[in-house]
Amino acid sequence: MATLTLDRVSKIYGHGGKDALKAVNDVNMAIDDGEIIGLLGSSGCGKTSTLRMIAGFEGVTEGDVKIGDRVVNRLSPAQRNVAMAFEGYALYPPLTIRDNIAFGFSRDRLKKAEVDARVKRIADLLEINDILERYPPTISGGQQQRASLARALVRNADLYLLDEPMGQLEPRLRAILRARIKEWIIERRLTTIIVTHDQTEALALCDRIAVMEAGVLLQLATPHELKDRPANLFVASFIGEPPMNVFKARVERDGGVARLIAGDEAGHDAFGIELPLSGAGHALGNRHEVHLGIRPHLVAIGGGGALRGQVVSNQWLGDQSHIGIDLGGATLIAVTDGALDVPAGSEAPLTLPLESIHLFDAESGVALMHGLEPAAPGVRAAA
Amino acid sequence: MHPAIRVVLLTLIGLFFLFPIVWVFLMSFQTNETILRIPPSLVFEPTLQNYTALISGRLETGAGVLELAFMQNLWNSFVLSFCSVALSLLLGVPAAYAFARFKFFGSEDIAFTLLSFRFAPALLVLLPLNLYFQDIGLNDTYIGLIWVYQLITLPLILWIVRGYFEDISPDIENAYRVDGHSWFSTFMKISIPLALPGIAAAALLSFIFAWNNFVFALILASADKQPVTVGALAFVTASGIQYGQIAAAVVLSILPTLALALYAQRYLVEGLSLGAVKG
Amino acid sequence: MSYLVLDGVAKRFGKDEVLKDASLSIEKNEMVAIFGPSGVGKTVLLRLISGVAPPDAGDIRVGGESVLGTSPEVRETGVAFQNFALYPHMNAFENIASPLRARGADEAEVKRKVQETGELLKIAHVLHHLPRQLSNGQKQRTALGRALVRRPKIILLDDPLRNVDAKLRYEMRLELPRLLKRFESTVLYVTQDYKEAMALGERVAVLFDGRFQQVDHPAAVYRSPRHVEIARLFGDPTINLYPIRPTKGEGGHEVTVLGQTLRLKGRAGLDRPCLIGIRPEDVHVEQEPSEGSFPVELDAVTPLNVRTVLFLRTKEREEVFATCSESRGERFGRDHRQVHARVDFEKALLFDEATGERLAA
Repeated sequence: MATLTLDRVSKIYGHGGKDALKAVNDVNMAIDDGEIIGLLGSSGCGKTSTLRMIAGFEGVTEGDVKIGDRVVNRLSPAQRNVAMAFEGYALYPPLTIRDNIAFGFSRDRLKKAEVDARVKRIADLLEINDILERYPPTISGGQQQRASLARALVRNADLYLLDEPMGQLEPRLRAILRARIKEWIIERRLTTIIVTHDQTEALALCDRIAVMEAGVLLQLATPHELKDRPANLFVASFIGEPPMNVFKARVERDGGVARLIAGDEAGHDAFGIELPLSGAGHALGNRHEVHLGIRPHLVAIGGGGALRGQVVSNQWLGDQSHIGIDLGGATLIAVTDGALDVPAGSEAPLTLPLESIHLFDAESGVALMHGLEPAAPGVRAAA
Repeated sequence: MHPAIRVVLLTLIGLFFLFPIVWVFLMSFQTNETILRIPPSLVFEPTLQNYTALISGRLETGAGVLELAFMQNLWNSFVLSFCSVALSLLLGVPAAYAFARFKFFGSEDIAFTLLSFRFAPALLVLLPLNLYFQDIGLNDTYIGLIWVYQLITLPLILWIVRGYFEDISPDIENAYRVDGHSWFSTFMKISIPLALPGIAAAALLSFIFAWNNFVFALILASADKQPVTVGALAFVTASGIQYGQIAAAVVLSILPTLALALYAQRYLVEGLSLGAVKG
Repeated sequence: MSYLVLDGVAKRFGKDEVLKDASLSIEKNEMVAIFGPSGVGKTVLLRLISGVAPPDAGDIRVGGESVLGTSPEVRETGVAFQNFALYPHMNAFENIASPLRARGADEAEVKRKVQETGELLKIAHVLHHLPRQLSNGQKQRTALGRALVRRPKIILLDDPLRNVDAKLRYEMRLELPRLLKRFESTVLYVTQDYKEAMALGERVAVLFDGRFQQVDHPAAVYRSPRHVEIARLFGDPTINLYPIRPTKGEGGHEVTVLGQTLRLKGRAGLDRPCLIGIRPEDVHVEQEPSEGSFPVELDAVTPLNVRTVLFLRTKEREEVFATCSESRGERFGRDHRQVHARVDFEKALLFDEATGERLAA
């Protein structure tokens, strides 16, 4: 177990040529011993290239990768002592699942009983006990993925790299395995990096998440921070399910108050909220247009709401409800715990609490304000 | 690798593979005397006499004047190849579709049997066939030759096009049916257009194979139905082998297929690799 | 009488008996979500209804008349395929126009209807694009447009939101029911996401093992699943299940679950081994003990959308999954700790362990 540092790391394919592609652009990251880090982004964002540079399958064009105190740029994957679960599983077809898993720590020269005990422990955790004697081609994709995860997690390594580790898992097992894997990692203080395009997975497992887009690290922060203080509009609308409600809004100033008038898709005025210009309102500067965002579960329905919306749909999903509301032509999604008695077609009073409002620059998408506090300056805009 | 080294290596490889063609091309502008010089030399006085002889049909040799039917041969090659491919497309494309879409009892066996025609030694088939053709009057006819040429063109088209049809998602065809179109209209408007690159590649490839065929026409056709491949034998004369004319004939007979292949190169490579994977 | 009726439909592929005895009745203009894990034959079912494949047994009736033996082009169905199945060599306009052209509509009518559909689906500005020039969302809307343009009596949607991103998925979840209402069609919506099924289906038809296991309103399927498998399919994380051996005591049966003894009154069928199912949202976790709570170890906290999943273990090392709201979840730290759980046993579900059937309350 060790720390991992990426110091201004870049990956350029076809370096020097005219078709040079900057897959990873000047990424800095300092990861603590025992931390679980997510690399999150859509395909082509550079997360996999980053992981492959850490593992050693890919050379580093610029910058340094450090595991602990040693720079590993020139070391082969085997010399870096990292454990990896591959997206394509990469199980050895001629070996049983048991041997595949045990292969991961064959270097440790353990007694047979000890090997069996280790395999059993991880197999129990991932529910693959009943397929230990089978061969990889004869089991389902979900089972292969669990076997591949097991092989990585039982190893003794400085660093654990998991590439899309749960994408193929059976939906019913996903939440349960996430919890068990997280417990396993925390208990053993494994420094872990998880590459995923699925924000649900990243939020569930990781201590901090690096959101990447077009090779650039947009924000590296805790799940809580990503939700409460997204650095820009891209992060804000990428994180959260259902995603943040975002509206383009016009700014009108009247004395000490700014009026934000949100438009619908066609640009017609839909609804407005007021914001005191003193304090957080400063963040508006002299902008005439901003993006206004609010997370679905922070929309307050009922009571003495200042706004009135038309309920379009009310979908109860067991432990939560998703409520679609037409607000003067703009559509808003609200989420509540449990059921709420507002049938489709009815009118509902609602509030968009100022302390839950996010404002973003209309052009660069950089965050201006979260709640009633100005956003931290100097964060990078989405490319 | 250093760019300069790469250029040198590529040139060497290119020379190695292109040498025979370049040499033949040079030969076609020489007289037999300069061709047969020892050691051979790249320096010669170019002459067009080989080409004029081929086109005019009169070849003057040491032993006298020889009548040549080269232009007729060229025309025969074209008729035979074109008609064979056309017939194969007509028969092979629907068959390929059937093999791709419907798994009926024995479908794999039938498809393989059709392919296996390619494995049979041609001469073994030809000698008895020659006798039958003489009986039923198909000997030395275009129709008879085109029929036999199906052994070359049909399996090729069938197997390449089948791979293409298998690559089209059945859902696209289903969607068109559900829209309200008939089976036939779905085949014509969806399946054929989507498989067109494959059909074009298969057609081109089988055209080349048909064009290059030698042994079928050698046995089944007489002088006025012979393609160029057989016609070239006429240059082996009593007074010696007319290398210059052979070279010119080769150049002239390569030209049509070469032009076609260059034009459709992209389709060809695509079609071949797909056929290799799927077939 | 029901408008669309599947009566004992069966279909096999080789040795694989995908559908055994699928029966379902759907009213006119109803929207039914067909839900089941992957590979249970949901897509096959749509194929049978649209006529691109015949069933091996059973009957399919529309408006009281069997449609077996009729070919797909004469059945009045609109289908949106999961992989979109757009015609790659035709632009979006021609894709959507295809069902109209098949019926020989004149050019003016085709133009008007395609334009109208395009506007409704917000793709009017990209109608001249080929499918490969469209974004995923636009492709999906084009496929939908093609299914809807003719205003078919029956619309079959095969997991249409599976291949689109989260933002679009939620937008469409809201938009689709509104849109489909305008068409006055009977809609079958296939999905393998239970949340989508609950959100979109007026009724949910749960399909597995070749049969419809339960067809009911979303709330009924969630609260009173007929079978333990259904209970496991609805809910994320899945329901907590524990085997119990009820013992007869005074005034009802007594069971011990998670170290707690409870008395079950007035339930039939408790004379055999049972399973008790506790939904994660019915397990309340607190820092301090309270009435009816018991101590548990909190082993991992994993946020899940707007909820948070808490992974607990009892003294006997039994696993318990609980959920709470996101804001509450953030109060529990990262590491192991002792907390207290209170289970709402009133809402627990009981199943016969041998058959899996739910025991009625």
